[in-house]
Amino acid sequence: MSETLLEVRNLTRTFDMSKPWLNRVLERDGKRFLRAVDRVSFTIRKGETFALVGESGSGKSTIAKMVVGLLPSSSGEILFDGAPIGTGEGAAMRAMRSRFQMIFQSPFASLNPRWKVRDIVAEPIIAFDMVQNRQAQAARVAELLELVGLSASDGSKYPHEFSGGQRQRIAIARALSSNPEFIVCDEPTSALDVSVQAQILNLMRDLQDELGLTYLFISHDLSVVRHMANRIGVLYLGALVENAQARGLFEDPQHPYTQMLLDAVPDVDMTDREREEVIGEIPNPISPPDGCVFHPRCVKAFDRCRVEAPAMVATQYGEAKCFAAENVRKAGS
Amino acid sequence: MTDHPLLSVKNLTVQFPSRGAMLTAVDDVSFDLARGEVLGLVGESGAGKSMTGAAIIGLIEAPGRITGGSISLEGKRIDNLSSAEMRQVRGRRIGMVFQDPLTSLNPLFTIAEQLVETIRVHLPMSAREARERAIGLLNEVGIPAASQRIDDYPHQFSGGMRQRVVIALALAAEPELVIADEPTTALDVSVQAQIIDVLKKLCSERNASVILITHDMGVIAETADRVAVMYAGRLAEIGPVRSVIKDALHPYTKGLMGSIPSLTSTDDRLVQIPGSMPRLNNIPEGCAFNPRCDQVFARCTKARPELMHSGNREVSCWLYDDAASEATA
Amino acid sequence: MAQQGEDIDCMEMIKRFVDSDLVYKFNRSPVAIIALAVTVLLIGGAVLAPFVTSQNPFDPASLNLMNGFSKPMEPNQFTGDTFIFGADDQGRDVYATILYGMRISLFVGFAAVLFAMVLGVSLGLLSGFIGGRTDVIIMRIADIQLTFPAILVALLIFGIAKGITPPSMRDEIAIWVLIIAIGLSDWVQFARVVRGATLVEKSKEYVQAARLIGRSSFVIMIRHILPNTLSPVLVIATISLALAIIAEATLSFLGVGAPPTQPSLGTLIRIGQGFLFSGEWWILFFPAITLLALALSVNLLGDWLRDALNPKLK
Repeated sequence: MSETLLEVRNLTRTFDMSKPWLNRVLERDGKRFLRAVDRVSFTIRKGETFALVGESGSGKSTIAKMVVGLLPSSSGEILFDGAPIGTGEGAAMRAMRSRFQMIFQSPFASLNPRWKVRDIVAEPIIAFDMVQNRQAQAARVAELLELVGLSASDGSKYPHEFSGGQRQRIAIARALSSNPEFIVCDEPTSALDVSVQAQILNLMRDLQDELGLTYLFISHDLSVVRHMANRIGVLYLGALVENAQARGLFEDPQHPYTQMLLDAVPDVDMTDREREEVIGEIPNPISPPDGCVFHPRCVKAFDRCRVEAPAMVATQYGEAKCFAAENVRKAGS
Repeated sequence: MTDHPLLSVKNLTVQFPSRGAMLTAVDDVSFDLARGEVLGLVGESGAGKSMTGAAIIGLIEAPGRITGGSISLEGKRIDNLSSAEMRQVRGRRIGMVFQDPLTSLNPLFTIAEQLVETIRVHLPMSAREARERAIGLLNEVGIPAASQRIDDYPHQFSGGMRQRVVIALALAAEPELVIADEPTTALDVSVQAQIIDVLKKLCSERNASVILITHDMGVIAETADRVAVMYAGRLAEIGPVRSVIKDALHPYTKGLMGSIPSLTSTDDRLVQIPGSMPRLNNIPEGCAFNPRCDQVFARCTKARPELMHSGNREVSCWLYDDAASEATA
Repeated sequence: MAQQGEDIDCMEMIKRFVDSDLVYKFNRSPVAIIALAVTVLLIGGAVLAPFVTSQNPFDPASLNLMNGFSKPMEPNQFTGDTFIFGADDQGRDVYATILYGMRISLFVGFAAVLFAMVLGVSLGLLSGFIGGRTDVIIMRIADIQLTFPAILVALLIFGIAKGITPPSMRDEIAIWVLIIAIGLSDWVQFARVVRGATLVEKSKEYVQAARLIGRSSFVIMIRHILPNTLSPVLVIATISLALAIIAEATLSFLGVGAPPTQPSLGTLIRIGQGFLFSGEWWILFFPAITLLALALSVNLLGDWLRDALNPKLK
């Protein structure tokens, strides 16, 4: 087993959703908080891809932003190679920043439309003083563009001259330009067409093999995650409900929510597999249900689920936060 | 009963002017739709699938317009109707479900007001009857406590519930045809599954035909009877959904199917089609797919393949030109 | 070698520009073409005034009082000189006074817009980017200023400046006071638009990408956000130019603007109206028509630019 690169412990983020002060006073309303991320813990080992999946409001993008230091956490710890990641400045933080990068969801919003591609790709190189002179910088940019499947001459163009897939390649080139070890990918293909998505996913896997990258892969799409990840964390209403080895998670999901998500994925291969109907909708995160937050939609729910929140229990392929999984475990042992 | 198919699209061409040139967004598209049939119209962005749907309901935005071909509903042309006549067809005979439920619902009126108005415009009913019918519809699309929630405004519903309301609205006047343009794209996967189920169930109960426009082959696999694959404004392949998915003929369809990551495949690498779809001002000569095709030969770069029969399907690819292969044999 | 590379870049930029949608739309808009032609003609005439006129109307040595009140296009009965737009009471060529007057009008207009733009863009950028208390303070000042008509603000500033400067310097600094007065009454628009655009851009992912690698707020504001807020600024600057020229003319007409030693179009109109009822209509008429043509064509150009840059704004 290889060593841990990223460790996240009890990461929590709350947002203040209160009305303005005057309205609160007039309407005799209290402050309201939204717990977008609720005591999430996971570790990522060097060279692996850890995926976080969840539907909208599951907190996956909030976690991504906290991990790279774009958003401060409310509590909990994020350790990158043993050292805490903060949002602050300073030489140590600067050195650490060059070691992780991020690929964003929208290839349209993630590139400055007024900058030439070569300036976009070179920005991290300049920010971290990684080259001595302009020739070296130009050579590095050309090398990066070719690495992601573009040509060096594309550097003198502007982003709007490229298709969505090519833009995402530019974004990947920028992310690679500071020689990072760890890349957070926030829904990197959800804005792309499926044939272009295949190109980008293949590219990301090739780069991982070639450069020994570690990925935190955020997605709502289970089939994409299955294709990319070694281990998967499933988020529901800001909390991890299951965290398991990828193959095991798909073969034998322990948490009923994971099962529901898997059943909801359209059966594109027309295998006519057995599936349960999806029940209900995601509740309002400002006032989540008591007990296990999933119990109103759970087919396996029993009395205990309505009053007591389950803790993570070990399962065959990882861990799950469910009393039913706990019972299976007890019966099995 | 007539022997006409419910909907018949023949050689439909939609163009719009841009900087002096005419860009062709839908190029010579033909298909028929039987009563009660669900046809999936699938393609990547820019393939012309939404434009085809817009042409059928007469909602192409100027300066774009239909420049060729015909669209017939039960044998009667509807592509040359006046806008007043088309309004009679739209809503009454053809229902619509769009991607974003918020654009189909007026935020200033309650669900009840919108449903009752739609029903009464098209069907001879009193306000009370229409309201009862509206509540019935909301129950059918699976809105809990419909009789109370009917007086709520659209923003008081969740995204999935709103799309259910839109489906109720589309079905309010018992249309024969429903055009659903990316009805689940804006929704989470678990909600998507629910919406697909509702749409499928209600249309089959009413024997209404559906044209389901989407980029998501998975949704097509779940819902459609037949599927038409579009590429650069043209039809690449059309046939029964199971055949097209399991055994694609057109090289583009093959590539498209291979590029979809699935829950069951175990391959490490996805099949990838090199390059990207051409822009409308730069469509290659001959077959539009030829620069990206791994089975391209001389004929593909010169002549454009029309739809030709191959087994239970039609496909526009020179590989399946029986006349030519017989001649060489 | 490097020089050559830059040459190619420059050529390419010109090619890009000629090829752009903006030029394409321009070539298809007769209104824009005429407006641009009139604007270029007027500005060109003002810039080249010494070369396209036969006299400097503010150099007493070049004037002949005998030419006073010459009618347009008619030879003067005493000197035989012909003035295309006639001459005023001092024998100044109205055509020349217009071109020289337009120099003052345009200088004040451009300088005031530049001042308003720099002030407004900086404050808008800070307000949108920093947010919080800074935003509230800047935007409340803007709101308060908007409750007064711009001309009133300009008059106020003009009055204050007059009060604190020694009388001997008044004529010298009058132009600069005018620029500041008009500029200060006009920055709010720039600030509002830039603040709005900054709020939009700030949340985009390219800004997060720059934050991620530790770029400073200053670099992000100037290098990333500012260039993306400039197209609406260009539109407002053009329309503001027309407004600033009119504001200058108004102030000068009221007698608080450009001094008679450096008359602008507004000053010329003020002087000219004194002769209107004695029959010397041309002294008023031609400067007024020029002001109208200038303001209208610049304004039309601004309108066109707004539509061309953002079709959604229609």
